[in-house]
Amino acid sequence: MQGFKNIIVLLFLFVGLLSQAQIKFEAKVSKKKLGVNERLRIDFEMNKDGDNFVPPSFKDFTVVGGPNTSLRNSYANGKRTYQKTYSYFLAPKKRGKFTIKQAKIEIDGEVYKTFPITITVTAAVERPNGPPSASDVASDNIHLVAEVSKTNPYLNEGITVVYKLYVSTDTGVSNWREKDNPRYNDFWSQDIEIKGLNVQKGIYKGEEYRYVVLKKTVLYPQKTGKLKLEPLVLDVTVEVPSGRADIFGRQIMTNVPKTITAGSRTINVKSLPEEGKPSDFKGAVGDFKFNVTTSKNQLNATESLQAKIEVSGKGNLKLFELPKLTTPSSLEVYEPEHKESVRTNLSGMQGRISDTYTIVPQYRGKYPIPSISFSYFDLKTESYKRMSSGELLIDVLEGPTAAANNTNSSATTTNTKQTVTPSSNTFAFIKTKSNWLPITSQPFFKSTAFWGLLLLPFIAIPLAIFIRKTKDKRNADVQGNRIRKADRLARKYLSEAKKNLGQKETFYESLERALHNYLKAKLNIETSDFNKEKIANLLTERQVEAQVITNFISILENCELARYTPITNVTMQNDYDKSAKTISLIDKQIR
Amino acid sequence: MRTIIVLFICFLGSISFAQSNQRFEEANTLYNDGKYAEAIEKYESILDTGEHSAALYYNLGNAHYKLNHIAPTIYNYEKALILNPNDKDIKNNLVGYAQNMTIDAIETVPQVGFAKIINNLVNTFNADTWAIMAIVAVFVFVLLFLMYHFSYATSRKRIAFIVSVVSLFFACFAVAMAFQKASLDKKDNPAIVFAQETRVKAEANKTSEEVFRLHEGTKVQVLESYKDWKKIQLSDNSTGWIPAQDIKIIKSF
Repeated sequence: MQGFKNIIVLLFLFVGLLSQAQIKFEAKVSKKKLGVNERLRIDFEMNKDGDNFVPPSFKDFTVVGGPNTSLRNSYANGKRTYQKTYSYFLAPKKRGKFTIKQAKIEIDGEVYKTFPITITVTAAVERPNGPPSASDVASDNIHLVAEVSKTNPYLNEGITVVYKLYVSTDTGVSNWREKDNPRYNDFWSQDIEIKGLNVQKGIYKGEEYRYVVLKKTVLYPQKTGKLKLEPLVLDVTVEVPSGRADIFGRQIMTNVPKTITAGSRTINVKSLPEEGKPSDFKGAVGDFKFNVTTSKNQLNATESLQAKIEVSGKGNLKLFELPKLTTPSSLEVYEPEHKESVRTNLSGMQGRISDTYTIVPQYRGKYPIPSISFSYFDLKTESYKRMSSGELLIDVLEGPTAAANNTNSSATTTNTKQTVTPSSNTFAFIKTKSNWLPITSQPFFKSTAFWGLLLLPFIAIPLAIFIRKTKDKRNADVQGNRIRKADRLARKYLSEAKKNLGQKETFYESLERALHNYLKAKLNIETSDFNKEKIANLLTERQVEAQVITNFISILENCELARYTPITNVTMQNDYDKSAKTISLIDKQIR
Repeated sequence: MRTIIVLFICFLGSISFAQSNQRFEEANTLYNDGKYAEAIEKYESILDTGEHSAALYYNLGNAHYKLNHIAPTIYNYEKALILNPNDKDIKNNLVGYAQNMTIDAIETVPQVGFAKIINNLVNTFNADTWAIMAIVAVFVFVLLFLMYHFSYATSRKRIAFIVSVVSLFFACFAVAMAFQKASLDKKDNPAIVFAQETRVKAEANKTSEEVFRLHEGTKVQVLESYKDWKKIQLSDNSTGWIPAQDIKIIKSF
């Protein structure tokens, strides 16, 4: 027995030590929000007795009752719990927010303090100090929350809205129905299907709640600026503990029908930056890959091929146009087939969209398809990115050419022998010869030479007429003509002699030869019978004057004489002039 | 002295022609070996010496075609056609092959009736040929007129008179044709679009409205220019302003 007592004492001491280690001094209020006509109870609780309790100054409240002291000692499973409480009943003096400051107490020589508490005093309530109605309890304990993943997205950036229904642990929901499904104006929206309602635990405003996810929606804003999300409105039947117990001691629950809304949210949509916006940007926002492929690169005319423009990745795939395929006009291209395989989940749209063009070339040749570019706004780097397909080339190997499409449609003859048909209009080879021209060439037309050649001939007409007229005139003058003719003849025969004027020997030789030649031509005599008498006779027969004949003969004599006598230049000139004169005279008189 | 200079010039000319011929041969060899880019360089080096020919432009076009350059191919073929308008090979490669590569399909407004006949007639010869024909006709006229004036036989006189009058008329006609051709040539200022895609605007500035878009290789007519812009006309008679650097004028030899 004695030993047992000792054990108990030891145990007590131990527990005492234990409790000494965890001293609590707390302030608790019955409510933090109350009407100005309500009352408030504040308890200062401690788990060990202390001295010198100093309550805070309740300067914004009137102390209606208290301090009341209560003591509680309980033993449970051999554990002692001690609790001492100082209680005050307070009535607020006015509306507003007030802070109840710290209370102090000295326990085992140490001073402990409570935390200050903030109290909100509102306008007067209808039923002061009554128990809260079931609907009030319901609205306090059930919350519908719209969680928006991002409140300031870019235009066309995907955001998600998740509607969660928070229910506190001591209430329940027996039934719910969507009263008003929100419409998302200015958004492209897609609901994500939720399979079954999973009750999960979570914290809402610092308190533990159970929650279910009711609705998930992916939104792509289509307009910039402040956009309002319409609230989701639910009709819920809430089970609220009535505060009474049935005969088994269980809480009786009252069902309260209630309409709750998630509250409208505003989303501030940023416009995409204008800086560096590519010209081919068509509103794609996200992270994409771009591909252009053809089913074949080489084919024959009138066969078909497929060209596929594909964008894959993550972003607003359904909300932009694919870039168009531009092809040479001589290709036959059909309307593209549009394909989408896009999944939408909480992170947005994912998948691929593609346009498939069917192309049928008609003629032989090469058809380059120009590079197609696709631009999108990359949300990670917040910049525009451009991707190009690179140039594709369709090579049509066989078929008619465009130039000759209407010429060859000859019926093919059934011939066992292989005919050698030259494939006409092939791509012609380069030229191997070239005629070079200067690059800077003067045009002939309108040049001076052109005008000259065009107009001068006209001047030639009066000129020619004038020349002809003077010629006719001269022809008419017979006497003058004869003189001119004789002079011309003399000049012709004496030209050689004139050249040798000054050299005695050669001059006279050529002069003599000239005179002989003249006579030969005029009188038709041979060189053999060439003497002075005969010449004189012949000339006389031809009615040449005697004086002229003697002159002629004297010149001939002079020629012979000159070979043996010294002769001056002056004599030579005289002889030349004389012979010229004589010849022209003979010519004039001769018949 | 003058004869020496003339001879010297002729000699120089023949040297440069020989040089061009050598380069042309080399370029042709490169082309035939499939080295098209080098061939293009060689061909263009001939242009730098101040000489050209239809064959040169044609070969350049061929080399560009092999490298799938759309605009330079058409540009060079068009140049070749200006120098030699009736060459079958050039026409074949331009119409049958090079024009297949272009993207724009533009309808041509056909010329009809009298205008077509006149234009066909004017375009049969170039202005210089018309001018030479006019000069020949004038000479014939003058000769025959003088013959008419001086001959005595009535029949000969008659024939000479008729022929001379006819040739005078023909001379006048040829001069008119030469003028017409020259004015047509002046108006005809084709260009090729070199930019891969270009926007043709209603006014000569960037902010104005877009009228249509053109792609590489399309042939346009340049009507006038203003600052860095050119007013162009398509074969379907639609007009607009295009940035000058997007096109290249064919006749700028």
